[in-house]
Amino acid sequence: MSTLTTGGTVGLGIKRLSASKEPDTSTKTYPELAILVDISSCIGCKACEVACQQWHDLTPPLLSPEEVQKIGFVSYQSLPDLRHDLFMLMKFNEGETSRGFTWFITKYQCMHCREPGCLIACPSPGAVIQYQNGIVDFDHSKCIGCKMCLVGCPFDVPRYDANNKPWKCNFCIDRVSAGLEPACVKTCPTNCLTFGLKEDMVEKGKKIVQKLKERGYENATLYDPEGVNGTGYIYVLPHGDHVKDYNLPENPKIEASIGLWKGPLKTLGSIALWGTLIGAFLQLILWGPIKVFGGKENKEEG
Amino acid sequence: MAVESTKIYEEQIERFSALDRILHWITALAFLYCLLSGIGIAYPKFHWLLTVLGGGEFARWLHPWAGVVFSIGAVLMILKWARDMVITGEDILFLMKIKSYISGRHEDLPEAGKYNGGQKLYAWIVFISAIVFFLTGIVMWFPENFGIGLVRWSVVIHEISFIVAGAFTIIHIYMGTIGLPGSIWGMIGGKVSATWAKFHHPKWYREVKGR
Repeated sequence: MSTLTTGGTVGLGIKRLSASKEPDTSTKTYPELAILVDISSCIGCKACEVACQQWHDLTPPLLSPEEVQKIGFVSYQSLPDLRHDLFMLMKFNEGETSRGFTWFITKYQCMHCREPGCLIACPSPGAVIQYQNGIVDFDHSKCIGCKMCLVGCPFDVPRYDANNKPWKCNFCIDRVSAGLEPACVKTCPTNCLTFGLKEDMVEKGKKIVQKLKERGYENATLYDPEGVNGTGYIYVLPHGDHVKDYNLPENPKIEASIGLWKGPLKTLGSIALWGTLIGAFLQLILWGPIKVFGGKENKEEG
Repeated sequence: MAVESTKIYEEQIERFSALDRILHWITALAFLYCLLSGIGIAYPKFHWLLTVLGGGEFARWLHPWAGVVFSIGAVLMILKWARDMVITGEDILFLMKIKSYISGRHEDLPEAGKYNGGQKLYAWIVFISAIVFFLTGIVMWFPENFGIGLVRWSVVIHEISFIVAGAFTIIHIYMGTIGLPGSIWGMIGGKVSATWAKFHHPKWYREVKGR
């Protein structure tokens, strides 16, 4: 995943880097972008999946009938899960709603959280980059391969290659920075996918939700989870009361354990280790080393 | 015998056998690598440590393997030394009066055997931390194979273990070198002076002499 070639400091404007001081964003601001996924108009054709693989030059393996049998994978899905060479996957699920039998379809890839768990968890300075337009990307040259981005991710997205480097949807940052829409949006035949400014996408999404409600989909919602401060992919879910059936977490957020380990525990560790070093030094200068004096005194005692 | 020497060599007592020393140093070096690379990984301000330790990717690769060596070493050490490390009432008293020890008022303290209360405490901290580091470390090493909640809390526990073991190890290194002159020879060459032994570990000294 290229970053610095298309991004850089001036190119897209960096909002945040992993394990680094927050950049001063007052010089240049860039509006947030988003992709609206209107599930109500998705026909499940998987053209976006193909476009993604074509643009990123990915060749995920095809499962042989034997492998399918072995892992017990029966689905309309191309593959059971994301892979390091599969950045996005259409997920399909069948179930019952108040309106009868429903096919739950989800476009599953990195959500480009505005509060990205991967970036917060990443210990390597600059290995995870969040641009001002909201795109979250990895810089493999700075990645040390610790997999903490997966630990921090509320959506279980990063997948690792043989060198432990993470791969995921990069919002077609190369296309976006050249003024093009992401490959999946370009391909979508039903206008289920729309690319634009985040505020416009939210507005459009809300309108679709309203229309769905008028048509009797009472529980229709716009999925733009607050727990991660909103996302770069937002979803119109016709059955908003079945978020889990869409393979989306109901309330994704940065887990308390991550905050604990990146915050108070780091401070406590600094205090404990520096404190001990200073304590040892104080012992040295206040009372001095605990010396044992030579043989003479020894003899008297003995 | 014709020339009379004026030098008086102090009597030396063996404190650690060759096996003790090999075990200690394998464990110690592995731990030191883990400690420094761990600090480099966990604290961005110390990211440069990873460069010194072979680069970020290499240090991240070696950290878990060094951890396995440390954990096995620590368990073998405690197995070998457990009998001497049993904490007694006198050791508790020693730990309660630790200020007397630090400030050089040794007459207030109970006499120590082969190890004093502080050393015993450190031995058990190393042992427990080795188990905790190992278990949580395996989970962090292969996060895809465990539940995400377990992985996240493993990171927290790994870090708590680091804080405790790290702080005590700083004390251990200080005491073993400049804080307590003469101690280091127990682990380098294996012998300490009789004077040192008599002063710091009188019970052990009498035991050795009585043999």
